[in-house]
Formats: sequence, C-alpha cells, structure tokens
Amino acid sequence: MENPLHHFEIHPIIHLSLLGVDISISKAVIAMWIGLSIVFGLFMLVVKSGVSLIPGKLQIVAEMSLVFIKDMVEEFIGKKEAPKYFPFIATIFFFILACNLIGMIPGSYTITSQLVVTGVFATGIFILTLFIGFAKHGLRFFGILVPPGVPKIMIPIMIPIEIISMIARPISLSVRLFANMTAGHTILYVLFGLAMSTPLMIGWLPFGFTVAINGLEIAIAFIQAYIFTILTCVYIGDVIHLH
Amino acid sequence: MNKGSEFRQGLSIAFRLGTELTVAVMIGAVMGYALDRYFDSKPWFLAAGVILGGAAGSLNVYRVSKEITTQNDKD
Repeated sequence: MENPLHHFEIHPIIHLSLLGVDISISKAVIAMWIGLSIVFGLFMLVVKSGVSLIPGKLQIVAEMSLVFIKDMVEEFIGKKEAPKYFPFIATIFFFILACNLIGMIPGSYTITSQLVVTGVFATGIFILTLFIGFAKHGLRFFGILVPPGVPKIMIPIMIPIEIISMIARPISLSVRLFANMTAGHTILYVLFGLAMSTPLMIGWLPFGFTVAINGLEIAIAFIQAYIFTILTCVYIGDVIHLH
Repeated sequence: MNKGSEFRQGLSIAFRLGTELTVAVMIGAVMGYALDRYFDSKPWFLAAGVILGGAAGSLNVYRVSKEITTQNDKD
C-alpha cells in the first residue's frame, strides 16, 4: 500500500517560471481555478438568467446563502459597518466551501489541505484586521492589548498574554482548516486502502466506513468553511469595536 | 433560534476551542524558545512562554464561553 499522505504531494504538470519564481501549473492550481470558476459561474448564472421577484430554484439557493452570510456579518461586525465587509467575507466563504467540496470528488485535489493556502488566507485576514484597527483607532488600537477592568499590577503580565493570543489567532485559524481537511482525507485513504487490500468477506466493513465518513466529510466541508468565515467576522468585529 | 443553527453553532464552538487552546500554548513555547536563542538564557523564557501561552489559551476559551453564556441568558 502506498503512503497515505502520498496524494497530498504536489507535482507540477506544466513547468513555468517567471523571473525566477516557480509558477508551475499543478493539480492544486487547477483545483483552485475550478473552485473559483464554479463560484463565479454559479452566481453569474443566477444573475444572467434574470433576477426575478418570484425566484427560481438557483436564485433561492443563492439568495438564501447570501442572506445567511449577511446575518452572520451583521451579528458580529454590526449593522452599520456590515456592508463594507460583506463582499469580502462572502467571497471567502464561497471560495473555501467550493475548494472543500471539490476535494470530495475522487481523484481531485483539496486545496485547503495545504497549510500554505490556509496560512495565506489567515495571514491576509490578520494583516487586514491590524490595518482596520490602526485606520479606525490610530494609536489607541494598542489598547486592545489591555482588556478593560484589569488591575494596574496585572498589566505587565496581561500584555504578553494578549500578544500571544493575538498571534495565536491566524495560526489557529489556518491550522484548524488545514488539519481538518488533511485528517479527513487521510482517514478516507487509509480506510479505502484497507477495503481494497482485504478479501471481500472482511473488506465490506472498511468500505462501509469509507462511505459513512465520506458523508461526514461533506458535512465537515460546510462546517469548516462556516467556522473560518465566522471567525473572520469575529476578528474583524473585535478590532472595530475594541472591547 | 432554530434547531439547525443551534447544532451548527455547537459544532463550530467544539471545533474552535480545541485548536484555540493548543495553538496558544504552542505559540507561547515557540516565542519563549526564540527569545532563549536570542538572549542565550535557556530555559527561562521557554518556561515563562509555556505558562503565558497556557494562560492566553485559557483566556481565549474563557472569553468564548462567556459569550455563549450571555447569549443563552438573552434567549
């Protein structure tokens, strides 16, 4: 049996390089493009087929998912600021969801199972929150390091603790998505390997588990996209409201 | 709040808190280790970093749980 982590390896299909930077096209890049085009195509289809007062099936799906995200953004960021951040957060949600779901197709690639990808998302969000915080509050933004109601004597201890919990945010955000997707796909691979390498008499058992865990993985694809976006909202909301 | 969103929220909290705790301890340890390397003061910063990281993780979890309880009180 092969190494269960084998299918996470990326091998370039077309070798390309631009100014010494490796921009080879690999399975992962193609999966990302497909994810992007699915999200774009779906919403373009809804708009192109005519947005009507009496919505069709596709329009209902699109509207419901957008309202769902809008409610989430309004809850954590506030009604006044929500319209500014809604497009960004909706994009993140649909892109991650599409990438997670594409990974469920056998033979394709789960782009979110790469720490680089989720790390770039999380770092981008972290830098964005710092940027919003300094733009909105100026130097008062450093007040986020001192929670309200802390006795003066505790401040030297609280500042390192708050710095650690600040830095932990983007890392836990990226590791959570990456670890869940990698773990799920590894389990699927191991179970399916068991099903293939044993006689049918016993093999049906791991095969049944593969089917069951496939269902679970689809649920996890939704939940992880949801958690990623909800935490993005929480982090942006935190720097806007500053306690 | 309907049943489905309650289930989703519960799951999201479950997935969230586990990593929050672990990662904070790891960050504290790594930062402490880096400071030790820089100042050549093994093992003091590492020890302090692990403790502070644990505190940061607990604080994060505490804040999330406080949010949940206030939300439940509102409902």
